[in-house]
Amino acid sequence: MTTVTGRVAFRDLETGVWVLEADDGKTYLLAGGDRKIKKNGARIEAQGDVDEDGVSFAMVGPRFVVKTYKFT
Amino acid sequence: MRKTLLLSAVATAAALTAVGCAKEAARDEAKLSPRPSYTTADLPDDLAFHVPNAIVVDFKDGTTKAEFDEWEKAWGVDLELADDEEGVDSAITVGSVDGDEDALLARIRQDPNVEAAEPLMRFTASFVPNDPLYERQWNLAQINMPKAWESTHGKGVVVAVLDTGIAYEDYDDFRQVPDLKGVKFTEGYDFVNQDRHANDDHGHGTHVAGTIAQATNNGEGVAGVAFEATLMPVKVLDHFGGGTTAQIADAIRWAADHGAKVINMSLGGGGRSAVMEKAVEYARNKGVVVVCAAGNGGRGIVEFPAAYPGSVAVAAVGPTGKKAPYSSWGKELDIAAPGGDKSQGEAAGILQNTIDPQDVSQSVYASYQGTSMATPHVAGVAALLWAAGAKNPDQVEKALFLGSRPAEGSTGWNDQYGNGLLDAEGALKALKKIRSMDASELLPSEVQAAQADADAEASAQASDVQLYAYSATDWKAFGLSAVLLAFVLLTLGRKERPGYLNIFVKPGFLVPLLLSTVGVFFVQYLASPSDFTTSVTLPLPDWLNKIIFGRGALANPLIYSAAIPVAVSLFAIKLKGIRHAVGGLAIGFAAILAYSAWAHAPALAWLPFTFLAIPWLLGNALVCLFIARAMLKKETA
Repeated sequence: MTTVTGRVAFRDLETGVWVLEADDGKTYLLAGGDRKIKKNGARIEAQGDVDEDGVSFAMVGPRFVVKTYKFT
Repeated sequence: MRKTLLLSAVATAAALTAVGCAKEAARDEAKLSPRPSYTTADLPDDLAFHVPNAIVVDFKDGTTKAEFDEWEKAWGVDLELADDEEGVDSAITVGSVDGDEDALLARIRQDPNVEAAEPLMRFTASFVPNDPLYERQWNLAQINMPKAWESTHGKGVVVAVLDTGIAYEDYDDFRQVPDLKGVKFTEGYDFVNQDRHANDDHGHGTHVAGTIAQATNNGEGVAGVAFEATLMPVKVLDHFGGGTTAQIADAIRWAADHGAKVINMSLGGGGRSAVMEKAVEYARNKGVVVVCAAGNGGRGIVEFPAAYPGSVAVAAVGPTGKKAPYSSWGKELDIAAPGGDKSQGEAAGILQNTIDPQDVSQSVYASYQGTSMATPHVAGVAALLWAAGAKNPDQVEKALFLGSRPAEGSTGWNDQYGNGLLDAEGALKALKKIRSMDASELLPSEVQAAQADADAEASAQASDVQLYAYSATDWKAFGLSAVLLAFVLLTLGRKERPGYLNIFVKPGFLVPLLLSTVGVFFVQYLASPSDFTTSVTLPLPDWLNKIIFGRGALANPLIYSAAIPVAVSLFAIKLKGIRHAVGGLAIGFAAILAYSAWAHAPALAWLPFTFLAIPWLLGNALVCLFIARAMLKKETA
């Protein structure tokens, strides 16, 4: 379980991709959480797992599977 | 001139012999050199362009039939006036030839009465498809498609699209999208749901496939690059667009083994995977061109699989030919192609027909941007190159790179664009040069064929793989069952124990154990894959769930529980003979349930179970172990 703080962003790439732009400069493909996490520009603090092995069409960075989160 | 007008009037309908044009061209040429000398080598390889064994000879105006009838005897060819109407005036003749055209033409050109002599060509107007939205496809104009389409449409070349599937057939509740109607498909495979129906339940794969081979010149929607190619739908990404390296590696080998000449992978991510890297190498050695997206991170990292040595890595540019901001770059980059840049507006995306990602039952014409969109342009041109006579993937790749245009004034390779911007027409021209310089092509065809066979055999042996029509059997659950068995046996006293090894080799015990953990795994060595055989090679709960509830259904918690072993064990109270078999089944179930829990595999149906899934699986695994212990226990008198 890792904690990541950053900004939720929608990127108009491919068929549409939701990412978490972490404060340390990394970009994660968002996964998990619930639908309310999808707020473009919102800052969150999220706990979850980084999945380095997954493959997808998004190709923006590793997946971050959100278990819990809160808006900050 | 009348002849030329007539030609252009019908040129859009069909390829025509441009005798009139040839004459004018010959006159222009004549000013520069008295003996224009085209040879067959100047023509594209495509038969649509060059009429085999036919020549056109233009005599000096006013030459009569009687005159050239006399001369033609010396050349050993029968020439006829090309057109009775224009008749004797132009004295343009055509004739058919046996043997060496170029040698004969050279001899004819020696004659002072001949203005021009050259191979007969068909003439087509620059190919402009009638698809109503074609005008919005700036991307096809950018890569010079109208010129490239004059010589080939990629007929019959199999392009595998490893993606979320393709909306290619009416099956179950899937519908083919209208602008794929009439496109040729070969049998594909769904590595997510383990069956033959690789339909798209997302929208990404259909868009990508559209760029390669959208139905073109059909009066509907948009056009595709190699619209007479054959698409092979291979589903490796699920309905959210995610997949695993293992599945994709299987799919690469599967496509290579089933006739693909090009593999398109608009996907990436994960670390370097030896399994996937070997699969790419295997496909490449089998003569497949593997084309992959560089990535959308906008950073100096080319994603895998694009970064593997055997793969062509594709970056994306917008309508101006400048690299799109999202496109990743790096030392593994090979080429750039149009992927759209919607920061310049919606029209600057790539437009294709797909299903609506928010409502997959609806067909839409969607404008997307991404290196995923750039990749299929390259895959499509690779298909054109195969159709135009490329002999191996090396030639295809060289033609792509040498034929590309310099980007942003630079020449040669750089880490933003690779070798340059994709150019279909340039690639086709480059292929001709490459083939003429390829010494191995000068060998007799039997020798070439024998070499190709030897190469294929060597690469098959080197890569030590079998056919991957089935997904590889996962033996981990079986291994776990052996551990659990040892554990159960250890809890029994020495007198109650049926022995360690002799229980394991009893068919009555081992068969149900194998069935529940690895299914009827050996079917894959005996039968060619079908819905049924690929189902039964899965662990028992998986294939029961699939047969009862259908493909893609969520796992039913009753099947993934101790219910079946418990039910069967009730019979064993009376029937002592089946106790070992029930024991095998129970151990197997315990193993597969525990393994599912460990792998976080389950998405159990019925909502209350989502958070209970892992406790549910582990609890039931324990019940199964308890049953197994009771079944294996020897009765002590």
